[in-house]
Amino acid sequence: MTAAVTVSRRIAASADRLFDAWLDPVSLAVWMRRDGSEPSNVVADPRVGGAFTITMNDPGGSFVHAGSYTVIDRPHTLEFTWRSIATHHTDSVVRVTFRPDGDATVVEVRHEQLPDAEAVQQHTEGWTEIIDRFARTLAENGDA
Amino acid sequence: MGEYQLDSVLSAVADPTRRAILDRLLVSDARVTELAREFPISLNSTSKHIKVLERARLVERHVRGRDHVLSLRAEALGDAVAWMTQYRDFWEQRLAALEAFVLSDADEVTADGAPR
Repeated sequence: MTAAVTVSRRIAASADRLFDAWLDPVSLAVWMRRDGSEPSNVVADPRVGGAFTITMNDPGGSFVHAGSYTVIDRPHTLEFTWRSIATHHTDSVVRVTFRPDGDATVVEVRHEQLPDAEAVQQHTEGWTEIIDRFARTLAENGDA
Repeated sequence: MGEYQLDSVLSAVADPTRRAILDRLLVSDARVTELAREFPISLNSTSKHIKVLERARLVERHVRGRDHVLSLRAEALGDAVAWMTQYRDFWEQRLAALEAFVLSDADEVTADGAPR
């Protein structure tokens, strides 16, 4: 295991619908953007090995997020490489899983192989979890 | 806090016992002797782990009489927390926007995300 961040959200929609919203360039342009910004410019070749470029038009400037699809298993798993200014333009890996839960779907995003301090790459097993817990605790206390 | 400090923080939390100590201190301050009792390791070993955490400035020690009381310095995790938070916030906001998108019938969805 490498440095990773995991977030999830239970959404009242089918896995098919959610999966397609991730893979369809027109849909992506609508929702894959920061709050309050213009729709993103998306160019995507949604097949394994295909590349995508998402240009997010933030109020503060345009930011390019690019990568290529490594797993497309509709409607269970979508995995792609991901590089942006936040990853210092090196490839990281984003794995999105869709798990049906009653009449909703739990969408989990696991962003891994995150770059940064060299130590980040070396350390294994759960250090991100504790940092995550600290972050949550700080957020709950309103200090973050 | 520079990269060196971030490295020492990350090295410090790479060890499961030290993570457990941090988790314990997240709950409340503790004396060194208390920690040694609560963890299946010797007092000597506990002290070594604590020294690493002190060097990373994750933990500080207050001497009260004969007691050495340890407390967490959460602010020392600032960079590491910020580092993690930037990725987490990004994806949490994207998932909120995805929810808003799929729950709206029209194309006129905003990217603001749904209220939590």
